[in-house]
Amino acid sequence: MIVDDLFDLVSYRIHSEPHILVNQDICRECVQRSCTFACPARCYQWNTEKGKVDFTYETCLECGTCLIVCDRGALEWHYPKGGYGVRFRLT
Amino acid sequence: MKSFDAIVVGAGPAGATAALRMAQEGIPVLLLERGDRPGAKNMFGGALVNCSVLDDFFPDFWNQAPWERHLVRRVLTLITPDSSTSLAFETDSFDHPPYNGYTLFRPVFDKWYAEKAVAAGATLLCGCTVEDLLWQGKAVAGVRVGRSEGDIRSRVVVACDGALSFLAEKAGLRKKFSPDQMGLGIKALFRLKEEAINERFNLVRRQGASHEFLGCTEGIRGGGFLYTQTDSISVGLVLHLDSLKKNGKTPYDLFQRFMALDPVHKLLKGAKLVEYSAHLLPEGGYRMVPRLFTDGMLVTGDAAALCYTNGLNLEGMNLAIASGFLAAEAVIGALQKGDFSSRQLSEYEERLRKSFVLKDMKTFEKAVDWMHTDRLFSAYPRLVASIMEQIFASDGKPRRRLGRIGWETIRDTVTLSELVADLIKGGRSFL
Repeated sequence: MIVDDLFDLVSYRIHSEPHILVNQDICRECVQRSCTFACPARCYQWNTEKGKVDFTYETCLECGTCLIVCDRGALEWHYPKGGYGVRFRLT
Repeated sequence: MKSFDAIVVGAGPAGATAALRMAQEGIPVLLLERGDRPGAKNMFGGALVNCSVLDDFFPDFWNQAPWERHLVRRVLTLITPDSSTSLAFETDSFDHPPYNGYTLFRPVFDKWYAEKAVAAGATLLCGCTVEDLLWQGKAVAGVRVGRSEGDIRSRVVVACDGALSFLAEKAGLRKKFSPDQMGLGIKALFRLKEEAINERFNLVRRQGASHEFLGCTEGIRGGGFLYTQTDSISVGLVLHLDSLKKNGKTPYDLFQRFMALDPVHKLLKGAKLVEYSAHLLPEGGYRMVPRLFTDGMLVTGDAAALCYTNGLNLEGMNLAIASGFLAAEAVIGALQKGDFSSRQLSEYEERLRKSFVLKDMKTFEKAVDWMHTDRLFSAYPRLVASIMEQIFASDGKPRRRLGRIGWETIRDTVTLSELVADLIKGGRSFL
């Protein structure tokens, strides 16, 4: 198994508005950047060039890890609108 | 504005149970689910252990519920990078109905279960995320869903909204979570032919096996698991969030290396990866249980952190079902009296305290400290492996007695004070 295969197998119904909002002003000051490694869906990646977090809500598994490991309160976290987001078919 | 006597938020096992029980009594109840069907947001890959509530609802539960395999074989394996030590338990008494535990697919089971609530008279609305609570003074008086004209009134709200329970937080029943209270579960589903699973795991008919692995998380507190379904296998890791955060490794890379370990790899050989998922598990035990009621609202299941592990038992679904049932009973009592104040609803907590739900949570209250012992996840699996290897290795040197091997290996691994501290913690959680 290679890690990329994992992410390719998840199905979603993506809403046009993100359900998590990232406050980049807070992230810029963060040194720990726990979200960039703890998120099991690889939604957060540190962009060294721009000095900010690159965030994709589209591949979120809605587990809430980011919300709990962020101790700076940089995230405004909601569940996606009804019927949207990750859809587990088989599991 | 629409209104119901009761609104149940979340059509998982706690919510479906609560809605079913209330509907049986003829109570107008609305069951809300944010997924496009019950179970769509669930990634459970474990076991439902036998639960008397289900037997009372469905006297032939085992005959009609959509489960996959009944568990007869439980295996605990201590892993090091190059060895493994297993303890396997198997018994005939788990092999006939009513079975002791089942593996199942939640998108299938939850849909079946919610349909039972609907058949009894509950109204199920899917694709409905609850965004806020409605208030009347200090009492919860309904919910706001993300639709136009989305306010729905009720005399009571039963929050079955899962591990992250935003409703419990909005109602002021719990504080913000800290990473040491949560475990991150990640899981992959693999397809494998039914015959291959039977052969590989030593099973016949619909028998199932569960495997737990310790020592496979590279020093992070947590463990691996593997459960057999009919023609698929659920494999995953549970990682304590505080430990993961401190360690800095990524869950999916840990998972990849876990699956490459020989004892795991052999069980998965030729199986096809079909789905990946992740979810949080409340791991704080009894001390994490929030206030369970307020005026006009009750909290159940994962939302109330009713979930525990002591390293051997991993239970949550049965606690969710039982708490959903007892919440419904409390609502029935409140309706009869026409009183939904917290004083009346406190009956729910009393019932939980008398049932196995809070009794089990309390029994294993101290197991949380044991499960937060770092050495349990690396040093001790290595210790066991080293002792086993010295017992069996034949290298021409004279053999030593087991006691001597054990003592010397323990001395090389931990200090006496560490050992004593860990024994006390282990003793407190089990004895």
